[in-house]
Amino acid sequence: MIRADKVSKSVDGPDGRLTILDGVSFSLARGDSLAIVGASGSGKTTLLGLLAGLDRPTSGEIALAGERLDVLDEEARARLRRRRVGFVFQNFHLLPALNAEENVMLPLELEGGADARARAGDALARVGLAARKHHYPAQLSGGEQQRVALARAFVHAPEILFADEPTGNLDRGTGTAISDLLFALNREHGTTLVLVTHDTALAERCARRLVLSGGRIVDEVTT
Amino acid sequence: MKPLTFAARSLRREFFHAELAMLALALVLAVAALTAVATLASRVEHALLASAAELIGGDLSINASRALPPNLIDEANTRGLRTSRLADFPSVVFAGEASRLVDVRASDDTFPLRGVLAVRDANGAEREVHAPPSGSVYVEPAVLDALALKIGGKIQVGGRDLVVAGEITRSPDSGSLFRLAPRVMMSLTDAQTIGLLAAGSRVRNRLLVAGPEDAVAEFASAIKPKLPDAAEIVTIADAQQNLSGAFERGGNFMRLAALLAALLSGIAIALAAQRFARRKREEVALLRCLGASRGEILQALLLELVLLALPACLLGVAAGLGLQQIVFTIAGDLLPGTRPDIPWQPSLAAFAIGVAVLFGFALPPLLRLREVEPMRVFRRDDAHRAGRFDALYLLPVAVAAALIAIGAGDTQLALTLGLGFTGVAALSLVLGLVLLRIVRGGGRLLPGALRFGLANLARRRALTLLQAGALALSLTAFAVLAVIGPSLLASWRAELPSDAPNYFLINLQDDQRVAMQERLAALGATNLNMLPLAVGKLVAINGKTPKPEDYSDRRAANWINGETRLSWSGELPVSNKLLQGRWFDADARGDAGPQVSVDKMWVDMFHLKLGDTLTLRVGEREVVATITSIRGVRWDSFRVNFFLMLDARTGADLAHSTVASFHLPRAVSLAALSRDFANVSLIDLNQLLDRVREIIGRVSSAVISVLGFSLAAGLLVLLAALAATADERRFESALLRTLGAHSGQLSAAVLGEFAALGLVAGGIAALGSAAIGYTLALRVFRFDGYVPPFASLLLVVFTAAALVALAGWLATRRIARTPPIAVLRQG
Repeated sequence: MIRADKVSKSVDGPDGRLTILDGVSFSLARGDSLAIVGASGSGKTTLLGLLAGLDRPTSGEIALAGERLDVLDEEARARLRRRRVGFVFQNFHLLPALNAEENVMLPLELEGGADARARAGDALARVGLAARKHHYPAQLSGGEQQRVALARAFVHAPEILFADEPTGNLDRGTGTAISDLLFALNREHGTTLVLVTHDTALAERCARRLVLSGGRIVDEVTT
Repeated sequence: MKPLTFAARSLRREFFHAELAMLALALVLAVAALTAVATLASRVEHALLASAAELIGGDLSINASRALPPNLIDEANTRGLRTSRLADFPSVVFAGEASRLVDVRASDDTFPLRGVLAVRDANGAEREVHAPPSGSVYVEPAVLDALALKIGGKIQVGGRDLVVAGEITRSPDSGSLFRLAPRVMMSLTDAQTIGLLAAGSRVRNRLLVAGPEDAVAEFASAIKPKLPDAAEIVTIADAQQNLSGAFERGGNFMRLAALLAALLSGIAIALAAQRFARRKREEVALLRCLGASRGEILQALLLELVLLALPACLLGVAAGLGLQQIVFTIAGDLLPGTRPDIPWQPSLAAFAIGVAVLFGFALPPLLRLREVEPMRVFRRDDAHRAGRFDALYLLPVAVAAALIAIGAGDTQLALTLGLGFTGVAALSLVLGLVLLRIVRGGGRLLPGALRFGLANLARRRALTLLQAGALALSLTAFAVLAVIGPSLLASWRAELPSDAPNYFLINLQDDQRVAMQERLAALGATNLNMLPLAVGKLVAINGKTPKPEDYSDRRAANWINGETRLSWSGELPVSNKLLQGRWFDADARGDAGPQVSVDKMWVDMFHLKLGDTLTLRVGEREVVATITSIRGVRWDSFRVNFFLMLDARTGADLAHSTVASFHLPRAVSLAALSRDFANVSLIDLNQLLDRVREIIGRVSSAVISVLGFSLAAGLLVLLAALAATADERRFESALLRTLGAHSGQLSAAVLGEFAALGLVAGGIAALGSAAIGYTLALRVFRFDGYVPPFASLLLVVFTAAALVALAGWLATRRIARTPPIAVLRQG
């Protein structure tokens, strides 16, 4: 489902060229789950962004669902994301001007789906927030906001889900509840999951773990 | 993604966010001001034309010194036009032993076709009439005075006794200054029967025509080739110079106010759009991340703007039409005759300009959202590209320039505003850089919190310059509206002081001058200004006979075919200004030959320059005079003025009379003077003066109501600028609070920052608005000796700057009361 081959990413910094990722290669089968772990600045989030097609590698190849991301332009990558990818973020990224239901409707509306509202209602019911669909993000707790974000991530049944520190902004109890929900939804939809986390317990729930350090893969664990 | 649905939903959700509400309000104000002013200008122009029609008694007049061919009337009638025939000629009328030179107007019973002829009868009752019935006349009060007659008495015209049936109180062309004698109106049939219109008499025949505008214009072009020699067509556009001058100035004032409202609204829109775009960055990054294309996002943003603009512009048009109706009602009775309908074109134009202003000022920050990278969802990358030149930001400059060029309606107004505001922007850039250098160099010496505030200015270099510029521009516009506008209006009112000349006298002979001066002094006359008057004809320019067809200005024909009035004086007359060359030096003329000083309008009309010669025939003499100076004459000063003034030595030898202007309290009767100087014609200007003063007063009120709109736009800009800067400081203030800063330290930081910004912007605005005011007075409104009110300017501008600091401080105080965590969590 995902294939990375000698992926590198460099940027220009004040002290010259800075290499963030250096020759990262791996592949992930459909329905698999992968946790990318490592210290701050190890290149985890950059790798996630490249895998999701949000940025282009400086060198190397990335394929997502059989399509080469590194040769597609930004518009083509956007179309690919719209159809096949879902996201969950550390700081939720709900649009403050939209209520919970409208936030969940977003991916469906981008696709141009007909019954967006009904499907968003179902997705919210699945995460236990049917009663709060008319609430705005500011009126929801952190855990509730992340549940809305999960509903939004799964509502259009994506083939791949990328999650960036999905429990990073939550207390331990809420974090556990959210990760339970995330894996349950993942199983139900048969989604391929890639997540970035510092949370060892969360990482261990994934089938595979890549450990990054200084932009390189230094360890790979499969359970 | 369905961009329209998405845009509509976003707008519905976001409308109550300050930025969009401000954007909409700014748009409403701009469109309202533009609609009101453009609609008013168009209606006043139509009303002026109607009022000018009243002046000549019809929509068109054909004048000739010989009888007009009867087929002209048939031609007019077949086109459904109404006609009236007139004959004007001088004559001497008698009552017993007394006699008086009068200006007789004989007309058929349809006169006037436009405007009002009103008379007072013996009982003192006033009524509107047409030409007098056969056997009777209507006369002006001066005739009654001169002949010691009463209404009902008889006068002898051409040897026939006619009954004075009424005293003329109002008639078309009552403001004509060079009518030599008071008017007597009689029936055209009587004039023909008595033989007053026989060949060889000095009769000016006229045919007046009235009807629908198009039909009159078609008639004019159809008859033009058929007209006999020496016949001329006078259209209503030629008439009423004094009054149209006042309206023109009023129009300039209103255009100035509306333009500033639109420009200020533009700045408010730009600032609000900047804030809106900043808030949208996260949303755009998310939408990009979820797979929305750049095109879809841009389309949705533009549609959101369109959905906002349409109702806002419509509301602006409605508000503008309401405002112009109020102003038109205030000023309406100044404009007699029909009330012109509300034209739709100005509303449409204002609507279009509103949309252009919105897109011109809001597009650059919104289009920049295209550049938001989807990776932003993971990390905020605020490294903006302030250093990079972005051609997009030329768009608002281009829209502002186009707005000034289209909206000013006057090149000088456009240039003054365009250059003035460019100068203010440039000065704010230079002084902003100086401020930053000072802050960087001397800031270390300041106490902690103040140092932090000023360091903020230096750190956000580009933003500081942008804010200083926006503040300086808006404060300048604000000062022009609040201080310069009213002071220019006051200068306008002061142009017609209470002792402005209210009488003219004509045909005074040299041997009567001293006696007249003594009589006028005894009556309490002031401001007496006497000048010789010779009547001549322009024969040649640089030795060549001028032909009307050689000049594009069709007024040239009047002077080529008709008479020219000349005068001379040792001193440059009051209300004249020397533009080029030197005024005559009585002692230094030597053998230089005759010299002439020419008014600027003549110079432009006949393409003259210093050193050219004019050949003038006065009586039997021909004078070849060299142009040695060019004057600017204020024709609306109510003083005696001339297009051509000769040097005194040349003039003294020419046949002439004397013309004078003076001020006399209204209560003083001139009946005895009129009788004792029977050859002298007195022209009462009180009615005309009253009318001009009334126009100035009412137009001033109208201008002030438009100024109100512009000031509201100015206030909006300040609010927008403050909201934008407060946003910037929210996070920092919260951080400082978290680190333990007390509110006093926060206040000192914010006050220091805003006071420095306000001081620079305020100082620039004071200089800029004074310069703009001075140039407007000199070049646009042509007020002599205007001095900008510096004290008020400084007061208003620095009060505004202090308010900026205060408002900034209040905004931060609100933050100080919010738990810092709430701000920090929002990021």
